[in-house]
Amino acid sequence: MNSAAEVSAAPRDARSFRRRLIGLIAVGEVGVLAAMALLIAFFWLLEPAFLSERNIRAILNVVSFVGIIAIGQTILLVAGEFDLSVGSVAGLSAVVAAKLMTAAALPVSVGILGGIGVGALIGLLNGLIVVRLGIPAFIQTLGMLFIGQGLIQVVTGGYPVYPLPEAINTIGGTDLAFGLGWSFAFFIVAALVADFVLRRTVLGRNMYATGGNKEVAHLVGINTSAYKIGAFITVGALSAIAGMFVMADLGSGGTSIGSGWELTVIAGVVVGGVSLFGGAGTVAGGVVGILMLKVVQSGLVVIGVNSNWQQIAVGVIMVMAVGLDIVRRRYFIAGA
Amino acid sequence: MSITTQAPLFSATAIAKNFGGVQALRGVDFDVVPGEVHALLGQNGAGKSTLVKILNGVHPAGSYTGTIQLDGRPISFASPADARSNGVGYVPQEIEVLEQLSVAENVFAGRTGLGTGMLVYQRKLEQRAGEIFADLGIDINPRAYVASLTSAQRHLVMIARAIVTKPRVLMLDEPTASLSGTEVDALFAVLRRLKAQGVAMIYITHRLPEVLAICDRATVLRDGQVAVRIAREDFDAETFIFSMSGQRLQRLFPEHSAPVGAPTALEVRHLTVAGHSGAVHGARDINLSVAAGEIVGLAGLLGSGRSEILHGIYGRVPVEGEVRVTGQTVSIKSPRDARAAGIALLTEDRKRDGLLFNLPVGANITIGNLAPLSRHGMVRGGLERSSILTAMRALNVKASSPQAVVTHLSGGNQQKLLFARVLMRAPKVLLLDEPTKGVDAATRHEIYRLVVELAEKGVALLIVASELEELIGLCDRCLVVADGRIVDEFGRGEGGEDRVLRSVTAAQAERHAVAAQVSA
Repeated sequence: MNSAAEVSAAPRDARSFRRRLIGLIAVGEVGVLAAMALLIAFFWLLEPAFLSERNIRAILNVVSFVGIIAIGQTILLVAGEFDLSVGSVAGLSAVVAAKLMTAAALPVSVGILGGIGVGALIGLLNGLIVVRLGIPAFIQTLGMLFIGQGLIQVVTGGYPVYPLPEAINTIGGTDLAFGLGWSFAFFIVAALVADFVLRRTVLGRNMYATGGNKEVAHLVGINTSAYKIGAFITVGALSAIAGMFVMADLGSGGTSIGSGWELTVIAGVVVGGVSLFGGAGTVAGGVVGILMLKVVQSGLVVIGVNSNWQQIAVGVIMVMAVGLDIVRRRYFIAGA
Repeated sequence: MSITTQAPLFSATAIAKNFGGVQALRGVDFDVVPGEVHALLGQNGAGKSTLVKILNGVHPAGSYTGTIQLDGRPISFASPADARSNGVGYVPQEIEVLEQLSVAENVFAGRTGLGTGMLVYQRKLEQRAGEIFADLGIDINPRAYVASLTSAQRHLVMIARAIVTKPRVLMLDEPTASLSGTEVDALFAVLRRLKAQGVAMIYITHRLPEVLAICDRATVLRDGQVAVRIAREDFDAETFIFSMSGQRLQRLFPEHSAPVGAPTALEVRHLTVAGHSGAVHGARDINLSVAAGEIVGLAGLLGSGRSEILHGIYGRVPVEGEVRVTGQTVSIKSPRDARAAGIALLTEDRKRDGLLFNLPVGANITIGNLAPLSRHGMVRGGLERSSILTAMRALNVKASSPQAVVTHLSGGNQQKLLFARVLMRAPKVLLLDEPTKGVDAATRHEIYRLVVELAEKGVALLIVASELEELIGLCDRCLVVADGRIVDEFGRGEGGEDRVLRSVTAAQAERHAVAAQVSA
């Protein structure tokens, strides 16, 4: 009897171990974290300066800006849409805020609220057009990318807005710890809050349902339009905040703030296991993904690789990550 | 008589096929002669589609037993394309047109050799499509975009597409499902021309008036076997109905009788659901009521408007009319309103409208039901888990844990999971659309028992099911739906499958007559 139990237990153990392993791989963050650890070790072995305090600080600083947008983009992707206009929105919000503080001579707080308002408004517009008119998010937000770029030139006349009020320079220059400032603090807090909301709240669960299958979500009584539009507004407002942090960091409302971010952000969160097809991924994963992308970029610089090859590496990593995502989905949604 | 003595052009002998242990066809013989329209009849699940898929190469040679002969020579098809190149054409029931292309391009889609190399001569395409249309008496501009056509015109385009290859055998699967009366007449005119050209046609349908109108011979399938083969001289609606509804393996249904004097739970007055894109699907002026604890069935053919009535009550599609729940008029503009009023819907298509494949089993059960399981918008993990386990136990959902992946569950377990979801809010009115579709026999019985249990607890149930035997066995009362209207009503023991078929046929004949009058 004893031996019989052992015989039947052995394959079950093997199966449960295998299942646990698959489960582990299924968790996007674990895979990306492991890959990142390998890459860090690789760069560090080739060039110990990679893990210098200065370099780590530089990486984290950059990540704090794009990371703020990545949080919003992750939420939006989970809800089944995506936004290509985040870079333009960041830049436009920054220069609008700068103009309000300088040319319009309004208080700094009003300028900042104005900047966030611009971002949220563009998000609302994107959301309404995508949800109500049924224009694909790709087209709508690509259009908004160009509109935003044009508006930046219209607002600034092509010149950076400078100088900014002292309060802005203070925000940009504050060293809270380890040479990291307010943007990093905001990024961490926002990431923790967003991760909690998606994981633990009814709002988050409904967001996954909306992105997983809009029709099913509608049938169980979820107002899918409101969720999608809300996600668009969130990503717009977070883009605006990221743009203004860069402005504070630079000490001027530069016209190139945010340019090219849209693809970096999407590439990053996708590397972190956030699905382009909606309904899958976590904020933690998205943030780790973008960190990994920046680690690779920085590592290649540190070990002295030509900048052209850095771009190629980013492209290869993104395609590989999406490939992995598709394989994973195929395994779990067989037949779909 | 002259037809049947002719040598068959296309024949199948002793065709048998099983799907994972289920015997779909048990030795079917079938043949067609040139210039004949041969009706293939039978209820859902009788084996019509399986037979057609074998004759058409969808189920390739080797996946079935038996022989197929064309012109007296054995032949086997590896694929539908193979069948087509051998002169066997097929017009599927679902309209499969390429909307962005012109009519002519659709007619020749997938055909090569119409130009030089990779080039296609647009004018030549249009000219040849025009010739085919003239030949068939179809009045459609070959240059029009398919997106601008009605569903009837699209169907004609699909028939033209099948005819381009000059098939000698043409199979039509429910060609009139989306057509109105006058459009059916236009289709029949086309079929008569093809008949005159000597094409052998296999005509699959549910509609007996059409068989009487156009077919030369009819074969009725039942339980994967030929129940009867009838020549035109002996055509008679009664004979068809009798042979289609012959008793199958007796199923046991749990006992239940309609509650006496129970209050009305659901009342629907003058409910009208608009059809999609001008097709006839929809429902007009529906009046019905379901008492607490009563099981009511909506019987009718596919596309009769049965599902639309459920969707209308649930607020999934816009409706006109009045819905009352326990005597109170409720305004239902969305599923959200319906749920708030105590109505729940189990949808027919689990993959498309039911399961969330991105969430685990547990979250699939609680989605939409999280309000009582949360505090200040935060899901209470322990409470959610325990209520999921309770629901899984109550409905016998077999999954390793609430974290299990939905994809890996069997069809029966997926269906029970969805039952768990809709029952979590303890609805007063439960709408079930094909509750036993694609589930195994054991789950089927569990579902029957569950339905009766719910009724005994006072839930009002309104059920749509294609299997008439099931609906009649389970329901206290049956409403027969045809062409979007309720045409008959009978209680338990007052009628069987034959009564449903007879009512539907009568309604269709009436519509046919009206259409003929209008066009005359």
